[in-house]
Amino acid sequence: MRSEHLSNRPAQLAELRIRATRIRDFALKMAAVQGQGYVGQALGVADVLAVAYFAALVYRPADPSWDGRDRFLLSIGHYAIALYAALIEAGVLPQSEIETYGADDSRLPMSGMAHYTPGMEITGGSLGHGLPIAIGMCLGLKRKASNSFVYVLLSDGELNEGATWEAAMSASHWKLGNLIAIVDVNNQQADGPSSTTLGFEPLSDKWRAFGWWVARVDGNDMDAVLSAFDAARALPDAMPRIILCDTLMGKGVPFLEARDKTHFIRIEPEEWAKAIADLHAGAAE
Amino acid sequence: MTLADARAALPTKSIRQQFGETILDLAGERDDFVVLTADLMYATGIDRFGAAYPGRMFNLGIAEQNMTGVAAGLALSGKLPLISGYAVFTALRAVEQAKLDVAYNGVKVILAGQSAGLSYGVGGPTHQSCEDVAIMRSIPGMIVLVPSDAVEVDACLRAAMRHPAAAPIYIRLGRGAEWTFNAPGRPFEIGRSVRLREGDDLTLVANGSMVVEAVLASDALRSMGVAARVLNLHTVKPLDVAALEVAARQTRAMIVVEEHSVIGGLGAAVLEALAEVPHGPVRRIGIADSFPPIGPPHDLRASLGLSAENIVAQALDLLRRT
Repeated sequence: MRSEHLSNRPAQLAELRIRATRIRDFALKMAAVQGQGYVGQALGVADVLAVAYFAALVYRPADPSWDGRDRFLLSIGHYAIALYAALIEAGVLPQSEIETYGADDSRLPMSGMAHYTPGMEITGGSLGHGLPIAIGMCLGLKRKASNSFVYVLLSDGELNEGATWEAAMSASHWKLGNLIAIVDVNNQQADGPSSTTLGFEPLSDKWRAFGWWVARVDGNDMDAVLSAFDAARALPDAMPRIILCDTLMGKGVPFLEARDKTHFIRIEPEEWAKAIADLHAGAAE
Repeated sequence: MTLADARAALPTKSIRQQFGETILDLAGERDDFVVLTADLMYATGIDRFGAAYPGRMFNLGIAEQNMTGVAAGLALSGKLPLISGYAVFTALRAVEQAKLDVAYNGVKVILAGQSAGLSYGVGGPTHQSCEDVAIMRSIPGMIVLVPSDAVEVDACLRAAMRHPAAAPIYIRLGRGAEWTFNAPGRPFEIGRSVRLREGDDLTLVANGSMVVEAVLASDALRSMGVAARVLNLHTVKPLDVAALEVAARQTRAMIVVEEHSVIGGLGAAVLEALAEVPHGPVRRIGIADSFPPIGPPHDLRASLGLSAENIVAQALDLLRRT
């Protein structure tokens, strides 16, 4: 469902910013239900998901398994709260399910699982699995002469996993022009900054050396993210594409942006209300 | 006739060669059938398939984890993928991908693991695979098949391809020449054991390379006045519990023989099933909890007691004590 404002970029960017704020709002409301969650990541990646779902992906909200859709694979299953928020904004999931988040019989479990949720293509969460599956889908779609793209969202911490690099070699070997990988680079993982846990720089050079088209952007700069997605789709070359998005954990909620440990956030009930109020106050500025 | 003479009188066929022939034949049956390998195209005998169907052959290089994820992705886009690798890498190196990408995602992928057990004995513990059945049968929904000769390899692959369930199937395979004894054309039904010899004194349960040893042992025992039933449990999961229960009721004792660790394999599966019903003594013949030495498969099997000779000796001892 691409934006209707393709000919008017300022209007398109304004609409995408509203979408991103709503995605952040939904994520905070889901986290508030459980009192905890990977909400720092959701706030950080919301701008990227707004561009993906409202300026890039082709899909039918009422028919999430429509064969002609672009696939969006969430390799980082703990980001499920972010993807649910985007799927709600996209009309794939109803807003009324927010209050079921994380409940025993919910379609919105705390880690993303394909069996539970419409629009969730795979069960990610054990890291390093998404890119290989995406490659298999790309090969299968190419053999069917499909024009669909396969998008796969990874994280910088996930790049620790060796299977990702097996897949990175494989994608360029098979000349997968229908593959668009996205990495949320927030420099945070469970035990602290990624750069001190297992350094990953120079990231662009690594992917370029593996034979990929690479864009590295500020993942919270809507204009830059939109340009990168547009360029990735338009590239005529038969090579895989990757968009490295540097993001800020907790983006849009100043007191969460300022926290040291944001990998998993657990705060008091009144603080969730304050977070939502701060988000909307900031967005109105 | 000695057991060695009886064995030597049987024809042999290479498992790898049979696998390659059947894969090539099956390719003509279904356009959606694709094959993946991790730099083992020649070693697993699928080079003729690759030459005949280059667009349906995916060689992923020496990267089994990626390969297994790619297979799941191909299945999710409508293909029927078969992974052609060595058991040790298919079942161990990429086990989490088999569990999550394939089994939990609920897609049908056939995982064919060659050189299982001691069949690549000269490769040593890096290439021998004595744990694969234990690992694969613990994955929810995974069907586990262990065919016993080239004839059954052919039938088993056809049954796996035609199996309607969206379930992953692990097929444990040997490598080089093995004795051929199954009658061609016998139907292969997943989950249904085959009674190869009748007898009510004791039951010999076996799969894979040990079925022929059980048959030879039964024939030898018969000449000694002992009637040993032989069950070929080519399907470890789902296990033919009904046939085991009948055998437990009708025969005095049971010996389970497998070219696999005694931990977690067929013997363990049989005992798990029998734990629920009355049964006589059960003895397991398999690979002890240790790394086997390096050597040619038939020599290794004999030295580790994976032989008709040892089955006969164990059977006589077991009946004497029962």
